[in-house]
Amino acid sequence: MVLQADFVGTRPLISFQHVWKKYPNGTEALRDITLTVPEGDFLFLVGPSGAGKSSLIRLLIREEKPTKGKIFVDGQELGRMKRRHLPYYRRKVGLVFQDFKLLPKLTVYENVAFALRVLGEAGSVIKARSTEALQTVGLADKLDKYPRELSGGEQQRVAIARALVHKPKLIVADEPTGNLDPATGWEIMQLFLQINHKAKATVLMATHNRDIVDLLRRRVIAIDGGQVVRDDRASGYHEALAASGLRA
Amino acid sequence: MKLWRHLVFALSSAWQSFWRNAAVSLAAVGTITLILGLAGVNLLVGHTLGGILDQYKSRVSVISISIADGTPMTTVFDFQDQLRADPRVTDIRLITKDEALARFGSDPQNADIARQIEGNPLAAKLEVHVAKLSDVAAIDAEARQWRGADRNDPTDYQGEFIGRMLRLSQWVNLAGAAILVILLVVSVFIVMNTIRTAVYHRRQEIEVMKLVGATEWFVRGPFVLEGILTGVLAAGLALGLLMLAYRPFVDRFHSDLFFIPLGYDPTFVTELARDVLVTGALLGALGSYIGVRRFVRI
Repeated sequence: MVLQADFVGTRPLISFQHVWKKYPNGTEALRDITLTVPEGDFLFLVGPSGAGKSSLIRLLIREEKPTKGKIFVDGQELGRMKRRHLPYYRRKVGLVFQDFKLLPKLTVYENVAFALRVLGEAGSVIKARSTEALQTVGLADKLDKYPRELSGGEQQRVAIARALVHKPKLIVADEPTGNLDPATGWEIMQLFLQINHKAKATVLMATHNRDIVDLLRRRVIAIDGGQVVRDDRASGYHEALAASGLRA
Repeated sequence: MKLWRHLVFALSSAWQSFWRNAAVSLAAVGTITLILGLAGVNLLVGHTLGGILDQYKSRVSVISISIADGTPMTTVFDFQDQLRADPRVTDIRLITKDEALARFGSDPQNADIARQIEGNPLAAKLEVHVAKLSDVAAIDAEARQWRGADRNDPTDYQGEFIGRMLRLSQWVNLAGAAILVILLVVSVFIVMNTIRTAVYHRRQEIEVMKLVGATEWFVRGPFVLEGILTGVLAAGLALGLLMLAYRPFVDRFHSDLFFIPLGYDPTFVTELARDVLVTGALLGALGSYIGVRRFVRI
C-alpha cells in the first residue's frame, strides 16, 4: 500500500482501495474510490447531494458491500467480514446522524445506557461509562429529561454521547449539523474537535456546512459523480470544490 | 453473567412489547387458543375413535376354527401345538363341544333355543388370538388347509370386514393428521404477522440496536420470546377450555351413545396437556423467528 508522505509512520485506520459501488438499478454511486485515513485524523467529506457521500458512509459502516475493490478498517477487510462479526465491528464505530435517532420513550441517560445494555454490560459499567459520556458532551444535568424536552443541539449531544460510550476508534457523522442553527452547529463541531483531540478518536464527517469547513481548515475530501475530485490536507469548502470546477 | 443479563433484557422487552400491542397480541392469543382448542378436540376425537377401533380390532383378531366332529384329539393337539409355536399367535384355546353349548346357552337370547336343542349340534373350536390384524388372513388360510377343520364352516374369519377396519383406521389417522397440520400452519402464520406488527412498533429501537452493535440474536431474542409467550398462553387457555369441556361432555353423552365406548382417559389428558403446551411454544417460536428474520438482518 502506498501511503502519502505525511502519513508515513501513522497506521491507516481506514483504507479504500479502488472501491466501486453499483446498485441493482444500474446507478454507479462510487467509481474507483481510493483513499487513506490515518488514525486520529479529522476529515470532512463534502460534495453535492447525490455525489456518493452517503454511499461511502454506508460502505464504511458495512451496511452495504462494495461491488468491486477493498475497504480496510482497523486492519479488517469489510467486504469479507462475516455477518456474525459485524456487530463487533459496529462497536468500534460511533455513528451520529442528522436526525439524531434517539428513542423517544427513553430518557437522556437511558438512551446512552441503551447502547451498553444491548451488549450485556454490567450495571456498574453502564452507569460509569454513560455518566462519563454525558459529562463529556455537557449534559450531566439533564439525565432524566426526555428527548422531546431538549433542544436540537442537546439532542445531538445525547446522540454523540451514545456514540462515545463504546469508546470507539472511529466516529462517523452524517450531516450532524444539518438540522441545527449555525450557532448550535458550531457548538456541536467544537465538541467533535474536542473528542478528536482528547479521546483520540478519528472523525469522518459528511457535511454541507461550508462555513464550518472553511473555518476549521482540516482535511477535506470532495466527492462528485462517485469519484474523489479533491483531497486536501487543509482546505476550505469552496476551494476544494472550486478547484475541481464544481459548484458548491 | 452476560447471558443472564441478555435473558433478563429479552424477557422484559418481550413482556413490554406484548402488552404495548395488547390488542394485537390478545387477538392472536384468542385465535390461536381456538385453533389449538380445535387441534385438541381433533386429538381427543382421534383418540376416542382409535380406542373404539382398537376394541373392534382386538375382537376381530381372534378367529375361531371349527373342528369337524370325529377328529381325533391327537390331531387337534398337534395343530394346537403347531399354532402355539407360531410367533404371530399370542394365545390359543380349545373349546370343547360342551363348552360351546354352555356358552351358547348362557346368552339369555339363546336360552329358549338351547333348551329345545337335542344333543349337541355345535362344533368344538380352537380360538386363536392373532397379534396383528394383518396376519389374521394367513392364519385363516392355514386353518382352512388343516384336515381337522370343519368342511362346511371352517372359520369365522371375516376378511372383508377386517380389510375395511384397517382402511378406516388408516383414513381416520390420515384425516386427523391433515387437519392438525393445517391448524398448526395457520397458527404459525398468525404468530408471524403478530410479531411483524411488534417489529413495526419497535423499528426505531431495532435500528438503534443494530447501529450500536447488538448481535442479531440479541435483537431477535425478545421477539422470539414474545412469540413463545403468545403460543404458550394460547395453549394454556386452550387446554383449560378442553379440560372444562371434556369431562362434562363424556358424562353427558356416555349414556346416550352407549354403543360407543366413550371414556375419560386421564393418562391421555396428561399427554395431551404436554403436547399442546410444547406445540404452542414451538409454533410461537417458529412463527416469530420467521416473522423477524428478514427485519433484523444487520
